[in-house]
Amino acid sequence: MEIIGHSYPIHDAEEKAAGTAIYAGDMRLKGMVYAALIRSTIPNGYVRDMDFSAVEQMHGIVGWLTCTEDCGEPFCRYRNVKGQITAEQENVWNRRVRFVGDRIGCILAESAEQARIAASRVEVIYDEYPPLLTPEDSISNGAPRIHSDGNVSQEITVEVGQLQDTEAISVDTETILSRINHVALEPHVCTADYNRHTGQLTIWSPNQSVHGLRTVIGDIFKLPYHKVRVIKTTMGGSFGGKQEWIVEPAAAAAAIYIRGPVQLALSREEVFQSTICRAPMHLKARGKYENNGKIVSFQVDNTLDAGAYLGNSKDYCGAVANKFFRCYKYPHMKYTARAVLTNTPVSGAFRGWTSPELAICLEHNINMAARKLGVDPLALRLINVALPGDMDIRINESLGEIRLKECLELGQKCFQWKRKKEDDTLFNKAEGRFRRGCAVACGGHLNGYFPRVNDFTAIGMRITETGDVIANATLHDHGCGTVQLFRMIIAQTLDILPEMISIGEGDTAVTPFDYGCFSSRSTYVIGRAAQECALSLLNRLKLVVSRLYEVPEKELVLSNGSLRFGDRSWTFSRIVQESHSLLQEEISAVFQHINKTNPGVGGAHFAHVQVDTALGDTKILEYLAVHDIGIAINPEMCRSQIQGAVLMGASAALKEHVTIDSKGASLGSLKKYHMLNLSEAPEIEVRFIEDGCTDGPFGCKSIGEVCHVPPTAAIVGAVNEALGSDMCQIPLTQDRICSWLEKNRKDKPECF
Amino acid sequence: MFLNFYVNGKQVGINVAPDRRLIDILREDLELTGTKEGCGEGECGSCTVLIDGKAVHACLTVAIQLEGSHVLTIEGLEHKGELSKIQKVFIEENAIQCGFCTPGMIMSAKALLMNNPHPSEQDIRNALAGNICRCSGYSQILKAVKKLAGEHMK
Repeated sequence: MEIIGHSYPIHDAEEKAAGTAIYAGDMRLKGMVYAALIRSTIPNGYVRDMDFSAVEQMHGIVGWLTCTEDCGEPFCRYRNVKGQITAEQENVWNRRVRFVGDRIGCILAESAEQARIAASRVEVIYDEYPPLLTPEDSISNGAPRIHSDGNVSQEITVEVGQLQDTEAISVDTETILSRINHVALEPHVCTADYNRHTGQLTIWSPNQSVHGLRTVIGDIFKLPYHKVRVIKTTMGGSFGGKQEWIVEPAAAAAAIYIRGPVQLALSREEVFQSTICRAPMHLKARGKYENNGKIVSFQVDNTLDAGAYLGNSKDYCGAVANKFFRCYKYPHMKYTARAVLTNTPVSGAFRGWTSPELAICLEHNINMAARKLGVDPLALRLINVALPGDMDIRINESLGEIRLKECLELGQKCFQWKRKKEDDTLFNKAEGRFRRGCAVACGGHLNGYFPRVNDFTAIGMRITETGDVIANATLHDHGCGTVQLFRMIIAQTLDILPEMISIGEGDTAVTPFDYGCFSSRSTYVIGRAAQECALSLLNRLKLVVSRLYEVPEKELVLSNGSLRFGDRSWTFSRIVQESHSLLQEEISAVFQHINKTNPGVGGAHFAHVQVDTALGDTKILEYLAVHDIGIAINPEMCRSQIQGAVLMGASAALKEHVTIDSKGASLGSLKKYHMLNLSEAPEIEVRFIEDGCTDGPFGCKSIGEVCHVPPTAAIVGAVNEALGSDMCQIPLTQDRICSWLEKNRKDKPECF
Repeated sequence: MFLNFYVNGKQVGINVAPDRRLIDILREDLELTGTKEGCGEGECGSCTVLIDGKAVHACLTVAIQLEGSHVLTIEGLEHKGELSKIQKVFIEENAIQCGFCTPGMIMSAKALLMNNPHPSEQDIRNALAGNICRCSGYSQILKAVKKLAGEHMK
């Protein structure tokens, strides 16, 4: 049975199409009340008092919680592992408010609408302090401290290799990245219940780590972990936005307070202002290149805006250093950086965890170097790209069978690179209103934590009397098909149909310990465990047949849900029934997998754009993404994810920006946050390089994050190629493009 | 006010505030949680339903506008336990990932195909431009609706 490499819909496609899939916000528990947050309206200050007199007489109000009372231990929204070193800077409700949107309490009511109206009527009396809205403000002399340990995280300096004393050309570039939001369609939501009799707290939320969340909730409320049950619900997208803990502690506090079920669903404004955004970064890069184009060194300085709580920012800022050697081979890097606290929305995880950010910076530097050296940008990449067996000298691990060179070569051919470049040159020579440009960008990423953090997982499987399998693993499907992919891996290994496999998602009361769905580890690490566990289960089946029928285990052949020996055959169903009745044994297997590899995984993206020099608009004419994927287990789902990542990255390149007004409030509406929609979306062609040469299941590599690494860089590169510009402050909005044209063109047409 | 209207072909009579949003009536009062709220301001399209055959945002429609109208939600597409053609094609074409945009997307596509059984690709792009999908690049969605448009033409 050939399953791997054939396309299947996501496991719950039918429920989603029918409208019957239950997301956390669709849950209706008996006696459930609704919570609405009371949030700071000022960027910096102290809550002197809260006046609830306007709320007291309102119909349907059940109660409220405030920062003026004890609200548990301080926590870090980013913590995921017990014992992890993080900055515990925030409380469930914060009296010392540090940004517009900081949580200061909540209203509980019989309906969500009542709770929301009441929350808006609470009068909060603040002592206001002057806000620090930019890293420059926060670092300036005499700036007040946002937290007691200062406004700047420890200065990071990482240097790898030796800066060789060769004659080299220096290329200095500057990259400024805007604050962007994940805009998962499902706003953050949590349903929580507290059983007053057993003391059990249950949390249902679309999160990326049930066990990580359990540690934070348990520690805030001083509950032993067996009394905290976290269940991952159907997730309406995350992209990293739901891997930090914002709604869950608040809903848990409310459930414990009322000793019953509560639902907290955020509005879109609350998602923008009170959850997390991707950190704004200011990167200054110096690339050194030999005359022949060989990269000698990249030196990057980065100032990251952490927002009001440090959250993941220190680690995120440091993680950039781990991404330097994932696609190119060169002997030296130096990275200096700092995360700076400001009175703005909190920065946090975003798809790719700094790989896209560094790619935007380095790919721009490479493009400018190509211009300076007078060489083709694609040729420059081809001479620097890492080859199979090259090392990632930062982590001292081999990149394994990295196939980026093949990605570039295939892309060059399919995209008709040379012809397009020539056509564009001719087109631009006419000096009309529109200009065209092509660019290529490479991106590399990881497959799990190894070797930075020890990475392991466990999975269990049982086989039933009807010959089908119930698997138990801690999965967190973001909506990209993880559950179906696991069914496919197990089904292929056992030669049965994917629909004969049941596998749930993370539930701390039921599923084994696992770190969660981050760092592109699900398929590569947990998927390998699934494959191994299914093989163990198969061996158990063979052992039973061998014991009952005295046939040699090793000569039993797997075929379509049966084991065969010569002309004799036993179905899985029969084997299980006979194992139960004759041997009194259940057929099951468990497998613990420790991951010890992390091969290079990457892609080369090719973009062709047209810029309207009158309006500053950019249209994406063509786009090709070529990925070194090992093997595409569920190809159409991989394609769809890659295309989504391209649109997300292209949107970040051209449109997306969470702006902050002069009073410190970030935008809170999709009316003001523009994304590329279907009328603007280009056709995105996807190609795979498949060699099946990794330790991942069936030789696969990761895809969900790596496909988001090159797109922004590719689009920025193509715009610069079209205009001959050197812009790298994203988004490249109409205004930015027009203003560059105003400054730089002699024969400029007027911008309207 | 007492509101009389039809939801998925069934007559409904309820006491509601005149400014109660249709999305709250559907999700809270009628427990039809298939219709999703993604933004509350008509920007994301997740709450799209049909009123008298036209695609509207349930988050921007209030009770007083609904008297006597026929509202069709995602739950109303299924017939005798079988999914409608449009739902099946979305599944077949892998046009569903996280699924939060799916009900709204399907309802917008439904409205388009009801009013224009033979839409061009540009018609489809325009009709679904108000429905945000953040997971995909819209390719599979577009393919699904094109396939349905093609079948309408047969």
